[in-house]
Amino acid sequence: MQAQMTGVEVAGQNLANVNTTGYSRQRVDIQTSPDVTTGIGPEGTGANAASIQQIVNTLLNTQVQSQQSTSGYWNGQQSALQSAQNALDEFLNGSASTSSTTSATSDSSTGLASQLSGLFSAFSAVATSPTSTTARQALIGQAQTLATTFNNVSTQLGNLKTSLNSSLNDNLNSANKLLSGIATLNQQISAAEFSGGTANDLRDAREQDLENLSQLTNITTSTETNGSVDVSIGGQALVTGYKVADTLQTYDAGGGQMLVQTATGGQALTLTGGSMQGTIDARDGTLATLQKNVNTLAGTLISQVNGIHNGGYSLTGSTGANFFNGTDAATITVNAALAGNPNLIQTSGSATASGDNTVALQLAKLGSATQNALGNQTFNDNYDATVAALGDSLSTANTQVANQTAVTQMLSTQRSSVSGVNVDEEMTNLMAFQRAYEASAKLVSTVDTLMGDTLAMKT
Amino acid sequence: MRITSNAYDSSLVNQLSQLSAQQYTIQNQVSTGLSVQAPSDNPAAMENTLDYQAQNAAQTQYSSNISTLQSRANSVYSVLQSLQTITSRAGEIATSAGNATSSQSDLNNYANEVNQLINQVVNAANTKDPSTGQYLFGGTASATAPFTTTTDANGDVTAVTYNGNSSVNQAQIGAGMTATADIPGANTGSSGAHGLITDSQSGADLLNHLISLRNNLNAGNTTAITATDSADLQKDENNVAYQVANNGVVQSQLTTAATFATNASQSLNSMISNSSSANLVQVMMQLNQTQNAYQAALQSGVKIMQLSILNYI
Repeated sequence: MQAQMTGVEVAGQNLANVNTTGYSRQRVDIQTSPDVTTGIGPEGTGANAASIQQIVNTLLNTQVQSQQSTSGYWNGQQSALQSAQNALDEFLNGSASTSSTTSATSDSSTGLASQLSGLFSAFSAVATSPTSTTARQALIGQAQTLATTFNNVSTQLGNLKTSLNSSLNDNLNSANKLLSGIATLNQQISAAEFSGGTANDLRDAREQDLENLSQLTNITTSTETNGSVDVSIGGQALVTGYKVADTLQTYDAGGGQMLVQTATGGQALTLTGGSMQGTIDARDGTLATLQKNVNTLAGTLISQVNGIHNGGYSLTGSTGANFFNGTDAATITVNAALAGNPNLIQTSGSATASGDNTVALQLAKLGSATQNALGNQTFNDNYDATVAALGDSLSTANTQVANQTAVTQMLSTQRSSVSGVNVDEEMTNLMAFQRAYEASAKLVSTVDTLMGDTLAMKT
Repeated sequence: MRITSNAYDSSLVNQLSQLSAQQYTIQNQVSTGLSVQAPSDNPAAMENTLDYQAQNAAQTQYSSNISTLQSRANSVYSVLQSLQTITSRAGEIATSAGNATSSQSDLNNYANEVNQLINQVVNAANTKDPSTGQYLFGGTASATAPFTTTTDANGDVTAVTYNGNSSVNQAQIGAGMTATADIPGANTGSSGAHGLITDSQSGADLLNHLISLRNNLNAGNTTAITATDSADLQKDENNVAYQVANNGVVQSQLTTAATFATNASQSLNSMISNSSSANLVQVMMQLNQTQNAYQAALQSGVKIMQLSILNYI
C-alpha cells in the first residue's frame, strides 16, 4: 500500500508541476521486495518504492544550453542594431494612393540623405541667382538643418553606446548572481543526495540557472562525481564545486570600450556566445563603423565646402570665412556670421565683381563629385552605402533570430517529449495506482477477516 | 514522439505569434503603400531608393534653375528688341544724311534724334533684372550701372565709360550641363561672349559710333558719315542681330533642357515606386491568406485544447 501511495504522490507532484518551467517529470521505481526462503522455496514479500527518478536527457540539456547561447547572442545583436537604425532615423514615409495606377509616393525628408541633396540643390540655386537674398537665406536654412541632423544622429549614437555599456553591466550582474546560485545549489544537491536518491527538484532548479546563464554567455560545464556541476567561461573556472572561484567584471579596454574580465584573476575573457557578446560585437563592430562613417562624411563635407568657400568673395567683398565650423558630425555647425548675414556667403570668384558665381557653382558641383576620402564615392552615394550596410547587419540579425526561434521550438518540443508532463498519462497512472492501492487494501481487510475467523474458532 | 500538455500549448502560442507578426507587417505595407520602410526591410532597395531620390532632387533643382534662366533670357530679349529698332533707325539716318540733298538744318534735326537714340541706348544697356535688382549687362560686376556718360554743357553725351566686365555666369541646367542667358555690355578681348554695345570680335561699338555720327551731323561732314559711320553702324546692327539669334538659341536650349528634366524626374519617380512601393493587389492577397491561416490556427487550437481526459473522469 505504501508503495502505491508513493506512486500516487509522485503522480500528484507531476500534475501539480505540469506548467512549471524546467520541471522534469518524476517516476517512482517500484520493485519487488526481497524473497524470504520458506519450506516450499522462495516466497515474495510484496513491493516497495525503491526510488523516485527524474526523466531527463542530459544530451538534450547540453544542446539546449548551447542553443540558448546562440539565441542570446543574436537577440543581443538584434536589439542593439534596431536601436542604431532608430538613431540613424533614415526611413521611407508614405501613404497609400487611392488611385489604382500609381502607387505610393515615398519621401525621407527627415533623414541625412535628403538633407545632403538639399544642400547641393541650395548651392545650385544660389549659383543661378548669386545676388538673391532669398536664395542665400534658403541656403543657410538648409545648411543649418543638415548640421543639426548630423549633431542629432551623433548624439543618439553616443547615447546608444552608453546604454549598451549599461546593459552589458546589468547582464554581468545577473550572470554573477546566477554563478553564486549554481554554487549554492551544488552544495544543496550534494547534501540532499548524500543519504541516497536524487534531489530532483534542486537539479531542475540548477538546470534552469545554467540555461539562463547560457543565454548571457556561452559556458562549459563538467559534472563532478559528487553531482556538482563546474562552470567555466573561456577556459577560466568560475564555479568549482560548492565555491564561486571567480566572478565577472567589466573593464575599460581603452577609449571607453568596455569588455569582460574575471574579477580576482584579472584575466580578459573572450566570450563566444550569449547576449553579452552580442551586445559587445554590435557595439564595437557595426555601431562603431556606423559612427565612424557618419563622422568621416561630416568631416569631409566640412573640409571640402570650406576649401572652396574660403577663397570666394562675398557681396561685401569680404573673404576667408569658413562656411561650416567644426570637425565631425557632433561638432558641425554653420558659421554664425554667415547665418546672421547671408550676404557674407562667399559666392564670387572675383574680388571686384560681386555678381560673379564661380565659387557658388563649384560648391553646387561638389554634390556630384567623387571624394577620395569617401572611397571615391559622392557624398550621397557614400551615405547610402552606410545606410545599406546597417540595414544588412540588422537584416542578418533578424534572420538569425527567426532561425534560432525555430531551433528553440524544436529542441523544446524534443525535451518536453522526454521530460514533460502529459496530463492524460499522469491521470491514467493515478487511476492505476489508486486501483492497486484498493487491491492491497482489500488484501488487508481479507487477511483481517481470516484472522477474525481463526480467532473465532476457539470460542 | 511523445507530446506533452505544455509542448502543445507553447507550439500553438508560437504559431499564433508568428502569424500575428506577419499580419502586422502586411497590414503596415497596405496602409503605407510601401514594401520597404526601414533599411533592414531590404537594404539594396533602400540604397537604390535613396539614390533615385537624390537624383530626383537634382533634376527638380535643374528645372528651377532653367525657369530662372528663361525669365532672364526674356528680359534680355526685350532689350535686344529695342536695340534692333534703334540700330535700324540709326542706319537709316546715316544713309539719309549721306544724301547730298540734306540741308544743315536737316542734319541738325538728325543730330537731335541721334542724341535721343544715344540716351535710349544708355538706358537700355543699364536695364536691371526685375527679379534681382541687379544690372543685366554689366557682366558679373552687376551691382553698379554698366555705362556712365560724360556730357557737355548742352547735356549732349561726349563719351561713355563701361564699368562692368566681360564675364558671364553659368548656371546648372542638367547633369554636367551649364548655360547662360547673360550678355556682357562690352567685350574688348578676342574671345568669349560677344559684348552687347562694344565688341572687338565683330567691330561693334554702338555708343561711340552714334556719338561720331552725331558729331559729324552737327559738323555737316556728310562724307565722313557715308565713308565711316554707315559702315560702322552696320556692324552694330549685325551685332544686335547676332545677339538676338543667340538669345533664340539659348531659349531653345533651355526649353529642351526643361523637357529633359521633367522626363528624367518622371522616370525617377517611377523607379522609386518600383523599388519601394508595395504591389497593393499582391499584398492584399497575402493579408487575406494570413488572416485565414490565423483564424484556422485559432479555431483548431482551441478545439484541441478543450479535449482532456479530465472531461471523462
